[in-house]
Amino acid sequence: MTGIKQDTTEIAIVGAGPAGVSAAVTAARAGAKVTLVDESASAGGQYYKQPALAERDHKYPDSLASNIQQGRELLAGLNHPGIDTQCNTLVWNVSAEELVLNLCGPTGAWALKAERIIFSTGAYERVMPFPGWTLPGVITAGGAQLMLKGQGLLPGRRFLLAGTGPLLQVAAVQLLEAGADIAAIVELQSRIEFLRLASRLWGHWDKLGHGITNRKKLLQAKVPFKYGHAIVCAQGEEEVSRAVIMKIDGDGHPLPGSETTLEVDTICLNYGFIPATELPGIAGCEQYFDYNFGAYATKIDENLETSVAGIFAAGETCGIGGADVALLEGQLAGAVAARQLGFDPEVDEDVLHRKQLQARTVAATLGKMFPVKPGLCALAGDDVSVCRCEGVSAGEVRTAIRMGVTQLNQLKPWTRVGMGRCQGRICGEVLRQIVAHETGSDVQEILPFTPRAPVKPVLLEAVGGAVADAAELTWEDHIGGYGVART
Amino acid sequence: MTAQRINGVRRGEPITITVNEEEVEAYAGESIAAALLASGRRAIRQNVKGGTPRGYFCGMGMCFDCTATVDGNPNVRTCMTEVHSDCVVETSS
Repeated sequence: MTGIKQDTTEIAIVGAGPAGVSAAVTAARAGAKVTLVDESASAGGQYYKQPALAERDHKYPDSLASNIQQGRELLAGLNHPGIDTQCNTLVWNVSAEELVLNLCGPTGAWALKAERIIFSTGAYERVMPFPGWTLPGVITAGGAQLMLKGQGLLPGRRFLLAGTGPLLQVAAVQLLEAGADIAAIVELQSRIEFLRLASRLWGHWDKLGHGITNRKKLLQAKVPFKYGHAIVCAQGEEEVSRAVIMKIDGDGHPLPGSETTLEVDTICLNYGFIPATELPGIAGCEQYFDYNFGAYATKIDENLETSVAGIFAAGETCGIGGADVALLEGQLAGAVAARQLGFDPEVDEDVLHRKQLQARTVAATLGKMFPVKPGLCALAGDDVSVCRCEGVSAGEVRTAIRMGVTQLNQLKPWTRVGMGRCQGRICGEVLRQIVAHETGSDVQEILPFTPRAPVKPVLLEAVGGAVADAAELTWEDHIGGYGVART
Repeated sequence: MTAQRINGVRRGEPITITVNEEEVEAYAGESIAAALLASGRRAIRQNVKGGTPRGYFCGMGMCFDCTATVDGNPNVRTCMTEVHSDCVVETSS
């Protein structure tokens, strides 16, 4: 096998969302040579997703226009001679010893050796399964926002938003302003829980202010707000035509007899977010359990350094914190990495650090307000697919648990959960909830799937070339090493 | 049609793509998933396991539910891939 091209850079940054972009800009302004890589067609991440269409003077509704404008201002900083931005490019593996990334992009497969790596890989949306959740027309709330922002497309006509947390309201306002009809917002937390917890935000006027502004817009539009409810079923033949919602008790169990059926064509789900930790995980970066958001995240110290020498992490991968946290941590990681390489970043790290801790505290408060309730696991009846890719039912998973499975890595060879193309990104957190619920364990005790390269499907020639470069390996080594056969 | 392009949003040049041998209107810069949704095609794929219909779900390239065969290449994520003129898309649903 012929060798693949290897480039070098001083600081490699993986993920061009708020954290990655601010890290790149800070480090480049200090004088470092930066390579910023993102899988999407353009930088910005999901939060600052820019309109993909040719013209840039869009007439977007107010709620979207300001977000797009803020993103545009941040992204303008990438126009710097020290920054090489590589979009449409997947980082599918990392070697922690040599600080080499394996990439696959428009020019094929290549490798990038860096002196420092910053992982700003962001987060995924958390969803919970119920009968009908795989039907076309059931999408994530973030997926709806991306269609609005990136594509100028309203992905349905009559919407239900369901799950828990502030994104439901934000997305509802954006959909409403784009012309959607909103049948209801279904929030897990009860009105009392919601108000009691919201009082913890006292003093954080910008967060409260945003929430209240959105709430007013939704009230004016007479959008029903169902506290203490959950979506329990999506119905339809080839696509969604109805949603069933039910009242739930404090643990999330649906209350019999409380069903309401709503005619909708689109259901948007969001139960919060999960840090994207695959690449830091492969690099061997230590993780910690973030109680505020109920998920494992990449552990960092006050310098944004992970437990692996030369590797930093910033933003959502270190624990859900939102864009404010990501922007601050990006600047800090970029500054510290540049300083370690002998540059002099023109930022006040002490001030940034103080702001970062404040922003993390606010985010933690928000996280505690919107927990996923364990009773929701009961919505995935035995015939519901929990692993969407491999079509593995909740019943098969429960059987395996009754036979003695206690961890996700054991479920994998037993049932094939997490072995499809999404590699457990959707079902992993669902399964952690189900295993914890069925075994009576704390969710913290249920470890995530072990991440494996390639972190997303890539052409075999990309993987093959890189592996052949690394060592004299046989074909069986390729297959076994990449998680296809060896368990 | 369930999904609609938002009025007033400026778009790229109108182009025509082929979806399952039918002509579909699209705009330069748009994702294939957006063009499919705007043409009323919400079910993009039948899952290999169980044959259930699937469509656009996460929008950010992580769920692989919106994959189709594009210009002969299988398993292309339509939410992450731009249309181009003469683009040929085959969905399994």
